[in-house]
Amino acid sequence: MNDITRESRLLETFVTLADTLVDDYDVVDLLQLLVDTCKELLDVSEAAILLADTAGVLDVIASTSESSRLVELVQLSAEAGPCVESFRTGRPVSVPDVRDVPAEWSTFRDSAVRAGFGSVHAVPLRLRDTIIGSLNLLRRGSSGLAPEDAAASKAFADIATIGILHERSMRETTILAEQLQIALNSRIVVEQAKGVVAYTRGVSIDEAFELIRAYARSHRVGISQVAARLVDRSLDLPD
Amino acid sequence: MTGGFSSAMESLERAGGNPGQYCRPFLDVFPVTGASVATVGALLGSETIAASDHLAARLDELQFDLGEGPCWDALVTGAAVLEPDLRDHQRRSWPAFRTAIAQDDVRAIFAFPLAVGPLRMGAVDLYSAQPVRLDRTQTRQADAMAAIVGRHVLRSALATVDRESEPSSTAYSRRLVHQATGMVLAQLGITPDDALLVIEGRAFAESRSVMDVARDILSGLLDFAPTDEGIGDAG
Repeated sequence: MNDITRESRLLETFVTLADTLVDDYDVVDLLQLLVDTCKELLDVSEAAILLADTAGVLDVIASTSESSRLVELVQLSAEAGPCVESFRTGRPVSVPDVRDVPAEWSTFRDSAVRAGFGSVHAVPLRLRDTIIGSLNLLRRGSSGLAPEDAAASKAFADIATIGILHERSMRETTILAEQLQIALNSRIVVEQAKGVVAYTRGVSIDEAFELIRAYARSHRVGISQVAARLVDRSLDLPD
Repeated sequence: MTGGFSSAMESLERAGGNPGQYCRPFLDVFPVTGASVATVGALLGSETIAASDHLAARLDELQFDLGEGPCWDALVTGAAVLEPDLRDHQRRSWPAFRTAIAQDDVRAIFAFPLAVGPLRMGAVDLYSAQPVRLDRTQTRQADAMAAIVGRHVLRSALATVDRESEPSSTAYSRRLVHQATGMVLAQLGITPDDALLVIEGRAFAESRSVMDVARDILSGLLDFAPTDEGIGDAG
């Protein structure tokens, strides 16, 4: 992708995202769109967004792959690694070479090397003084993120934050906690729905997610809404 | 009686982990003298959890000791057991239990299973000093009420489990448990809450971690869906 194409694609994406934020939107859809866009437009292999629950524990809410390899790795990074570091400090954490990390991140490092990742970039999701999670970009090669990609990732993180929090509800911290809980709960229902589809259709958990997304897309409804209907059994995905 | 039934359901829902409130709603709705709630079998052992009177408690104790009676049948079959007249000599079930209660003021006895999905853990026993029949509607209502009690009993038992043996749950493991919950709710046609209870109950029954059981469900090793061989035989 040349620079002009890339710039116009980025612009296009931001317009789409801004449009989304005006309507009633599904937060799972929005975050999924964000990570997929990161993978498509930035020089990264995988992307994942994590949100903190009320106890401050970070949980994956959207990722470019549902494979346990990626999800487990990002969770490790959320326990001791760049992900939790960016969440704690509120600053982007760039790890150009995963082999080159502090000793206390060794579990994350080993897992990243095994999974074939060379570098990681973690951007906090923050609004003013409040940090609610982290956007994580993983690359196969070991070199830092290009400056323009780092800048774009910051913009993606901001959109994710606004999408989750709804600017106008930001005045009260109780509402903040509620908004976060709603986002996290909708992810729980998506996980349950993956189980339902995996069982009823006899497919893997990853394939189940793809089927749910495809149905949501073709019927123009949110992933969360499709998931809720799968879980209360009022919807069966057609063959 | 519909009003009586729905308010009885509400009272039972509200009862939560208070066994003292389990019996009264049954006495309010059905033409019986006494009620008791007992666990029997391997899952939670034999114990009277609640009884409306001494005779109700005695009927449970006798069944524990004798290893037979309506409560055991409800556990084994997972279905309501109805004995409208114990002196009907056509019936030959539970000879020792019948003999033991020959002098007691009991003419009719009923048992409704305590169960969550495929996990069966005991029964609600109702008795009457007079012969009495429960019709199909009453039987269905008693089943529904016993199901609520079953959830409370299982939840209370799980709450006492020593969680130290459980490996600390990570966000990733919780995710797998949610996925397994989805599989189980589809297998059994139950709510997500009940499906999670089934997973936790199975973990408890086998002294394993919830995570372990979730992995077995996701890999297909453990399937709760009813089969011809019985319910939840796999694993």
